[in-house]
Amino acid sequence: MIYLDNAATTKPDEKVLAEAVEYYKENFWNPSALYAGGLAVKKRISEIRDEILKGFPSSFETVFVSCGSEADNLAIFSFAKRGNAVTTSGEHSAVYESFCELKKRGVEPRFAKLNADGSVNVNDLLSLVDEKTTFVSVVHVNNETGAVNDINAIADLVKKKNPSIIFHSDGVQAYGKIPYRLSDKIDAYSVSAHKIGGLKGVGVLFKKKNLVVTPIVFGGGQEGGKRSGTENVLGIIDFGYVAKKHNVALSENFEKAQKIKRILIDSLDSRFIRIISGENSSPYILSFSAVGLRGEVIMHMLEEFGIVVGTGSACSSRQRHSRVLKNCGYGADVLDGALRISFSSETTESDVTYAAEKINECVKKLKGVMDRNI
Amino acid sequence: MKKVIIVRVCEIFLKGKNRFYFVNLLESNIKKALIDVKFNIVKLQMRYLIEDFNENDYDLIISKLLKVSGIHTLSEALCVESDVDKIAEAAIKICDGKGGTFKVETNRADKTFPMHSVELSAEVGGRILETYPGKFSVDVKKPAFIVHVDIRENGETLVYSGVIKGVGGMPVGSSGKGFLMLSGGIDSPVAGYMMCKRGMKLAAVHFHSYPYTGEAAKEKVITLGKKLADYSSGMTLYVVKFTHIQEEIHQKCSEEFMITMMRRFMMRITERLAEIHGGQAIITGESLGQVASQTTESITSSNSVVKMPVFRPLIAFDKLETIEIANKIDTYETSILPYEDCCTVFLPKFPVIKPRMDKVLKEESKLDVEELVRSAMREVEVIEL
Repeated sequence: MIYLDNAATTKPDEKVLAEAVEYYKENFWNPSALYAGGLAVKKRISEIRDEILKGFPSSFETVFVSCGSEADNLAIFSFAKRGNAVTTSGEHSAVYESFCELKKRGVEPRFAKLNADGSVNVNDLLSLVDEKTTFVSVVHVNNETGAVNDINAIADLVKKKNPSIIFHSDGVQAYGKIPYRLSDKIDAYSVSAHKIGGLKGVGVLFKKKNLVVTPIVFGGGQEGGKRSGTENVLGIIDFGYVAKKHNVALSENFEKAQKIKRILIDSLDSRFIRIISGENSSPYILSFSAVGLRGEVIMHMLEEFGIVVGTGSACSSRQRHSRVLKNCGYGADVLDGALRISFSSETTESDVTYAAEKINECVKKLKGVMDRNI
Repeated sequence: MKKVIIVRVCEIFLKGKNRFYFVNLLESNIKKALIDVKFNIVKLQMRYLIEDFNENDYDLIISKLLKVSGIHTLSEALCVESDVDKIAEAAIKICDGKGGTFKVETNRADKTFPMHSVELSAEVGGRILETYPGKFSVDVKKPAFIVHVDIRENGETLVYSGVIKGVGGMPVGSSGKGFLMLSGGIDSPVAGYMMCKRGMKLAAVHFHSYPYTGEAAKEKVITLGKKLADYSSGMTLYVVKFTHIQEEIHQKCSEEFMITMMRRFMMRITERLAEIHGGQAIITGESLGQVASQTTESITSSNSVVKMPVFRPLIAFDKLETIEIANKIDTYETSILPYEDCCTVFLPKFPVIKPRMDKVLKEESKLDVEELVRSAMREVEVIEL
């Protein structure tokens, strides 16, 4: 099988998982327990915290949560409490739906327009920011088109307009994949483990220490009371290993992904396929459309060749058309045929060469079915 | 004092000599619906009593019974010894949480009970008024609610107020077995439900055209099938691989006849499955004029390839009327899930709306109909729901 839907989730890194399971089998203790075993696990988690904080400003701390969506929710409902809150029309549903919920809680949500590649229209975003804005959230890498928003620059401009704003970014598709350093203008940042070979069930909210979060889950006071509930020890240990591995190999993997993406773009039949992802998008995500055809049908046709691709965000697959692509301004013919291919560090050149060949074949076949005049 | 459920039947008693057949069938359907629950069923004159169940299962039992056709109404009742004090105590409990005007109606089947109906009603009503001073008043003409007291011959009395409306109709299995063409849209589940209501046992046939329709679309049909199976006292779903037929039609026939041809194949295959598996009729969710394949001419074309009766309970329904029932039977939200369905891919730009039979036959002559049907019949997936 050739798995090319890594933006939805990644195959767990087997070697890392085996190590984590080995550790977990011996150290199954509750990290809140006061005997030696419990303390040892707590210490191990603390070491992982320090490890993953290495790439972040020293003013940051971590809150382990259950997933990227929870990290987004925790940030949004902690920091957007008054006035208005601004985000983009290209956010993952975890941010988008939470902003819709804000309305019910008395905070006015505002959504900035997108450019055709899925990046935020910065001028429009800035025009929505005013003295009553308390919170801004801008996705770092768009999960459908791969568009990279320059969040440091955007946060800088936002704070020039209103310095009291808290700036958050959903970094789920960026962390461990693209090189970046957060500036001190960023206040909170969400990450998820299973997008880089970790396990489902672990997310992290990186945030400035001086910002107080309002917990969503109450209980035993874990994570300094910010997120109660017994820690997902196995998931956190595993994440510690994969995060380190990905950050060490980040540049190498990045270049490899760039090359693979270029091969794929060059191999796709441009007569039938329109590339949606922009030139400067994340090398891990390629969004394109078999214009006028049906993305879902092509996806199933590829499945028969053992190739797995996505039709867009898995979290939004109940909707017929992608909200994000619609907000990029595309019409029904592009939206109907939209597909997303996303790579991992495991993807090889031969994977994409074969995939491109089959995509071209399937697109041509379906085109023949849907339009007999070809 | 124990909680029981009164189950009242409808129509069945109009059926004269066949009455016992219907009654036994309904009883067996009720037992099947409640197979996961511990309970006891007692047959009474024109109704059943469900008793000896765990009170935590009450909501589950009601929800299951509300899907059994042949049941007219249900009532939650308290069952007590036939004794004035105990009856009054139950009636007072029944009134808890209510307010406004009421009356007590007594039915005294046990003629040895020491008070007459009217006397007992007055006594019980009086005690209710005493217990809740100022909260209730009696209105025998137009009460807000009625407290029913039913003194049975076995020394027990049922006290209840209010009824829940059931599906109605006749017990499933009393009107034979129909093969429902289940597409995954809004209409066909509703058509199936309506035929269940008339006592028809269902089997369903779904035409799957992978890769033009995906696994998710099939799962959607299975979900709909499970919902229908509750009404049909179980159901078999036959999934027919249809891709090769669609591709063959697409290659050989004129584009505007695509849907007309597909419908004819679907009808043929459904009838053949019904013949093999004991079906006596075909059921479709067609509604006159709703789409190109549902005009009188199109229906004539698809109907002409089968001999079995084709039941189309929605034929005169407006879409909104169908949606209303789909919501009631909880299939609407599943039906509108946006997975690709084959028709959208193969949909011609200008489908023929009023196909002429001579043209239909001419188009069809380009295909080896019998071989295509046979090949589809060879690969049918059977799913018990």
